[in-house]
Amino acid sequence: MDAFILSYAVVNGLLQGAIYGGVALGLSLIFGVLRVVNFAHGSFLMLSLYISFWCWSLFGMDPYLSALITVPVMFALGYMVQSVVIAPLIRRESAMVVEPLSALLLTAGVFLVMDNMALMAFGPDVRALQGAYYIPTIFIGGIPISGQRLIGALAAFVVALGISYWLRHSDMGRAIRATAQNRDAASMSGINVPAVYAVTFGIGCSILGLFGALISPFLPISPSIGLAFGIKSFVVVVLGGLGSISGAIVGGIVIGVFEAVASQFVTATSASIGSLVLFILILVFRPQGIMGRA
Amino acid sequence: MNRFAALDKTPQARGLRLTQTHVLLVIVAGLAFVPLVVTDSFTLHSIIMILFFAYMATSWNLVCGYVGQLSLGHAMFNGVGGYVSVLMFTQLGLSPWLGMLFGGLLAMVLAVLIGLPTFRLKGPYFTLTMIAFAEIVRIWVENTNDFAGIPLKGAEGLIVPNRGDDFWAFQFSGKVPYYYIILTFLALALAATAWMERSKLGFCLKAIRGDRDAAEALGVNPTRYTSIAFALSAFMTAIGGSFYAQFFRYINPERSMGLELSIDMAVMAIIGGQGTVLGPLLGAAILTPIAELARGAFGGGLLGLHLVVYGFALMACVLYFPKGAIDPLRKIFRKIAGGGAK
Repeated sequence: MDAFILSYAVVNGLLQGAIYGGVALGLSLIFGVLRVVNFAHGSFLMLSLYISFWCWSLFGMDPYLSALITVPVMFALGYMVQSVVIAPLIRRESAMVVEPLSALLLTAGVFLVMDNMALMAFGPDVRALQGAYYIPTIFIGGIPISGQRLIGALAAFVVALGISYWLRHSDMGRAIRATAQNRDAASMSGINVPAVYAVTFGIGCSILGLFGALISPFLPISPSIGLAFGIKSFVVVVLGGLGSISGAIVGGIVIGVFEAVASQFVTATSASIGSLVLFILILVFRPQGIMGRA
Repeated sequence: MNRFAALDKTPQARGLRLTQTHVLLVIVAGLAFVPLVVTDSFTLHSIIMILFFAYMATSWNLVCGYVGQLSLGHAMFNGVGGYVSVLMFTQLGLSPWLGMLFGGLLAMVLAVLIGLPTFRLKGPYFTLTMIAFAEIVRIWVENTNDFAGIPLKGAEGLIVPNRGDDFWAFQFSGKVPYYYIILTFLALALAATAWMERSKLGFCLKAIRGDRDAAEALGVNPTRYTSIAFALSAFMTAIGGSFYAQFFRYINPERSMGLELSIDMAVMAIIGGQGTVLGPLLGAAILTPIAELARGAFGGGLLGLHLVVYGFALMACVLYFPKGAIDPLRKIFRKIAGGGAK
């Protein structure tokens, strides 16, 4: 194996992996606070990809600029899903811990509705923002690096750091962390728990709005892409440790580099099977993930 | 629950089970007359699909409904059943009636191998693992044209060659024979569930569902009993996969082992009432007609419409009828049938 090709694969894997991590951040955040596995995670990404696409194709809007639309829309949608769909479950089972499976089923319902509404509205065709955007490829040590992917990867780090800082230092962040630790104690200290949950869900989804806008220029867009990214996000988050922000980025990079390097030796299909095998092994042998606490 | 409450409940429970058996017999007997009334081929096809999904949801329910583990990977067993029986038929000339048994056995082995390390995973972790296993199998088949000389034909799928009206080839010219075959399968699956509910296996599974650690402390081996049930469920699902392959004479990885089928099975059992004998049948009877109507009324025009309805139904069910649609019916039934019991 040529060292140059290998280093090219590693660099690209790093970028792709950081983007995977960025996409998975919201899933981890929502699980960490609400203990809800959001099965519809990928659907929110799919929807924001479509919003970016339509903004570009109907109004000629710059895909990056469409983040100004996708981020608030996804926040509102996430806020709504939490307060309309999931909150009644949490209220009903307030005496007990929310049964995680019921919440998973609810979000599976949201996934079915969102993905198939997109299928009905847009059809199964694959769309692409062809030539919508051109960011020059830069060369570092002779290795070509896609500018768009680099921006996506940097955004993942910025968002992860930003969320961590915000969780640590803002009032809302403290309220979110307190709620994550103990819902009832937080409630007794005067924290509006339903509002915290809805805001957390909204933020988790708005991150997807941002990444939808950032990755739309180089991704083929179809209704089923949400599920593909959703499953990838589960793998990433479980690998890094469910609920951990830094774990999502680390897990994403591990998966990204693993797939990029593995596909130099075996087919890309076997590489994606490999990452699912890795996922199962982690769940069976180290369910807390790489970064998670035991 | 204290000891006395348990004692108090026993006679009533016995009475209920008896009536449930009666309901079961009435439903199956009633269904046996359907082809005499329905002669329209399209309608009969739709009813066969209802029975097929009722059978699949019942197979899913056998383990998932009773142990309380949510598997969204059951389509994998369906695919194994379909692929094994079709390949044995096209490659070895073996009758699908025998091929489906081999498919079922392979699915059982697969289920035990998967179940042993994963059954102790809790809640969403188990669900995600099952999705991962099913996706591995699907992606592998979709991208493998030839495995050790076996032509899997990748994403293209397998076609069952037409043999005309031939019982051993599991091929019939009309739809009525298929109807009675799937009705028989469904009746057997319902009987197996009803039997399991009363057997030691059923009680152990319920104990495991209630509290795994406590059940283990009482000497119930959770791994053993869940593995048995899981293998049984996988076997039945695989048999359903063989039926599907013979009925449509075509299978591909996307349709026969994709996530959508797994979700269909689970959603029907959950909406009908998981952990009950008749719930999955009810769920399939509620949901499948929606899919069939959407297909009939709009052709391919409104792709995915029925799944939107499934999604809303699933949410409504989890929020307002966590025990499934069978629960309110049961209460009414109990009032009519067993009013004097308490």
